[in-house]
Amino acid sequence: RQPLSLSVAGERLCSTEEATAGSGTYTRHGFIFSSLAGCLEKKNEDNELPVVSVVRDSESQLLPNVGAVVTCKVCSINSRFAKVHILYVGSTPLKSTFRGTIRREDIRATEKDKVEVYKSFRPSDIVLAKVISLGDAQSNYLLSTAENELGVVVARSEAGVQMVPISWCEMQCPRTHTKEFRKVARVQPQFLQT
Amino acid sequence: GGAYWVDSQQKRYVPVKGDHVIGIVTAKAGDVFRLDVGGSEPASLSYLAFEGATKRNRPNVQVGDLIYGQFVVANKDMEPEMVCIDSSGKSSGMGIIGQDGFLFKVSLGLIRKLLAPKCEIIQELSQLYPFELVLGMNGRIWVKAKTVQQTLIIVNILEACEYMTAEQRKQALAKLSGN
Repeated sequence: RQPLSLSVAGERLCSTEEATAGSGTYTRHGFIFSSLAGCLEKKNEDNELPVVSVVRDSESQLLPNVGAVVTCKVCSINSRFAKVHILYVGSTPLKSTFRGTIRREDIRATEKDKVEVYKSFRPSDIVLAKVISLGDAQSNYLLSTAENELGVVVARSEAGVQMVPISWCEMQCPRTHTKEFRKVARVQPQFLQT
Repeated sequence: GGAYWVDSQQKRYVPVKGDHVIGIVTAKAGDVFRLDVGGSEPASLSYLAFEGATKRNRPNVQVGDLIYGQFVVANKDMEPEMVCIDSSGKSSGMGIIGQDGFLFKVSLGLIRKLLAPKCEIIQELSQLYPFELVLGMNGRIWVKAKTVQQTLIIVNILEACEYMTAEQRKQALAKLSGN
């Protein structure tokens, strides 16, 4: 890898015959253009053409892709959707959180009309969700918890104590023994700490 | 049976599911009205939540109108939602409160006292003049009598009931009906 120079967005780098477009670039009319302002990098492959990419920071930000499982924290709920902050993509923490939305019909796979957002999530719950779309103009990722392994993993009761899951739809507070409704994730046994 | 609760006195209302309250319409936003109910957030009321309302037949609600309705959603995490129909779709006394009359605010404890069955205050007042009365659990009372003067007299008596003893109230009413 040889950092060659700095480039600005829109700068024409080379033709597609000399190199392949990497991250931070796009091709148009047979030429490779930069789409970011940053350092130009050329990675030499043995058999194929070198890969040209433009990098902004030294570590590139890991972006959630469609189909990735993300860990997020619920910030507000509504009767139609829940707004979340995406904290982790897979197991890597994000430097800056992204915003996500979980719509009411994407919370569960079955009986979608009978879902109540208030009985599935509450503000400050930690939720495992899957990205279904990169989002609209407001740049909110669209997430879904419509699988058994997705849903609430950590939640606090009204008393402020961390709750224990007792079924796929209920969690219990160990101090007051009150049950609260949540859409609980079925975590694989190897990930549970006892 | 078998329930204990602690009754306390306060003036600030916190929305509770199932409570009947008087709300003031502050805005119309698309299919939903925004109502001020005296809580931390304005409540939302769908235009379809009235008896006999359809998409073609909208209720005639203007900004500034008074609405008597009940909460269907009221918790600390979401914006409260109200309806003016009960579970069977009948209005059962809820809906837009008519023209004229007088709206005023009292403490929540007085409202609960007035809503108790066979409340003496209401019985004594009804012997004085005929009047219409709507009590909202959010501390708001709407009164309408035949004349403005009668309305204001009833308003003053209800506000004073906060601090008057039963004796003082009977004396005041006796003086008024003597006039």
